[in-house]
Amino acid sequence: MSAAAIAMTEDDLKTFFSRGVEENMDALYGTALRLTRMGADAEDLVAEAVSKAWAAIGTLEDRQKFRPWIFRILHNCFISKYRRDVARPAGTAIDENDDEALAALLNDQPDEFLVWWANPERQFFNNMLGSAIMAAINDLPDAFRMTIILVNVEGLTYDETAEALGVPPGTIRSRMKRGRTMLQKALWRQARDAGFAMPNDNHRQET
Amino acid sequence: MNSSKTGHDHDDIGCLEAIEAFYAYLDGELSDPGAIEDFEHHMSHCRSCFSRAEVERLINERIGEAGTSKAPDELKSRVRRLLDEF
Repeated sequence: MSAAAIAMTEDDLKTFFSRGVEENMDALYGTALRLTRMGADAEDLVAEAVSKAWAAIGTLEDRQKFRPWIFRILHNCFISKYRRDVARPAGTAIDENDDEALAALLNDQPDEFLVWWANPERQFFNNMLGSAIMAAINDLPDAFRMTIILVNVEGLTYDETAEALGVPPGTIRSRMKRGRTMLQKALWRQARDAGFAMPNDNHRQET
Repeated sequence: MNSSKTGHDHDDIGCLEAIEAFYAYLDGELSDPGAIEDFEHHMSHCRSCFSRAEVERLINERIGEAGTSKAPDELKSRVRRLLDEF
């Protein structure tokens, strides 16, 4: 058990833990929901993570880091228990640390994508519901989806997100770039399929 | 990236480099002052990237609004029972 944990009495520790769990309940449930995509599974996952976290309270070395610590336990519970049951392509097939891969991702875009991104149909974005964006995020590979959720929804810093997902901090920056570029591409496809005018159709304003 | 830059003169970074720094900048994670200056300088004269950044901000807002979930009361009671048992 760490020095910080030893310094507290059992009661103090329990109070601290309970408060931490309660303060993060919505965020833990929301994250579990994004991971499992099923309400009932998400509730089970949160309950399991809370039990495991209390059993592993000795591994929390810095009380300030409760949030990334418990998110990491939640994530690990998901990986060990649920992920195998979910039939979807694994995000690990992509070399997420390869900066050249990002350049390639951008270079491989059809020109009209980059033009559109610089000058998108405003109406498309004005009408686009948050739920449609979340649906597009849900289709991203797990690693990118979780990074975007923890940073943009739950408000974790890149360092906290790295701790929560058990990866080096630089990986989060790289995942944000790639994940959000993939998201842009998905939104571009939606706009195109919905019949929105592409900027270079008739009024290309790019200089 | 240009971590050695101290921001004395603006380096004209290209769009690809600016796009590389987009999310770190918008998420408040770009810490090198030189890199921040270069990025902001690029934004000040590149209409395309300025517009891209606006779109990204809008998406950030929508994600923040739509992504937040409330834990159901049932789960709250279940966890409270768990905590009481510890």
